[in-house]
Amino acid sequence: MHVVSQLLEMSGIGRDRMQLRWVSAAEGQIFADFVKELSALMGEMGAFDPDEYKLKLAAVEGALNSPRLRWLLGMDRQLTERENVYHQKVDDKLYRQLLDEATQEEYQKSLILEVLRDGPQSVREIAEKSGLEIYAVSQLLSDIERAGLVDLHGYEGTTPKFIRLAA
Amino acid sequence: MSQTFEPKILAFLCNWCAYAGADLAGVSRFQYPPTIRVIRTMCSGRVDPSHVVEGLKSGFDGVFVFG
Repeated sequence: MHVVSQLLEMSGIGRDRMQLRWVSAAEGQIFADFVKELSALMGEMGAFDPDEYKLKLAAVEGALNSPRLRWLLGMDRQLTERENVYHQKVDDKLYRQLLDEATQEEYQKSLILEVLRDGPQSVREIAEKSGLEIYAVSQLLSDIERAGLVDLHGYEGTTPKFIRLAA
Repeated sequence: MSQTFEPKILAFLCNWCAYAGADLAGVSRFQYPPTIRVIRTMCSGRVDPSHVVEGLKSGFDGVFVFG
């Protein structure tokens, strides 16, 4: 849930659009209060337009489905409370930091891949559409290229254009 | 036009906790806004992150998970 809300925040959708609350079977009043309180919050945030965030939502979904996040998620207790196979424990803060970094990177990679669905594009075009820095795009792009998900499609003048390989 | 905006919210309720809680709220006649559309799950742990994304994709304004 921490990762999901972080992804929602990163994509500009807003972490508050997803809420997790604990209500026991005996807490009818608390349930009603939560619904009241959170509905008011959602009302303040206004309507959500899925078409406007289509690209971002797809990127969030892609990031959540990335093997890296799938491996890391749910490993917190194993790594911070128990030990890895080398009998090493990871500090709680370090694990969080690792997870945050992975989340951000996977989101940005996924965003680039989503942008590339529209056909071959240059680094500059990708940066414009995704809202990422040009330098960040070029770095991430080489990462994704090494993973075999994008490839150099050809040159337009002297500008290299990249294409998405995987479906 | 002066109507205030009423959000449409997807709510995942755990069968054993929040769903029963919601039931109790109904039986006890506690008032709460009619903004949520409920999906009952056998456990709130069943809710996958992709369910949340799918909810937003299909046009809900927000997603709640009650466990």
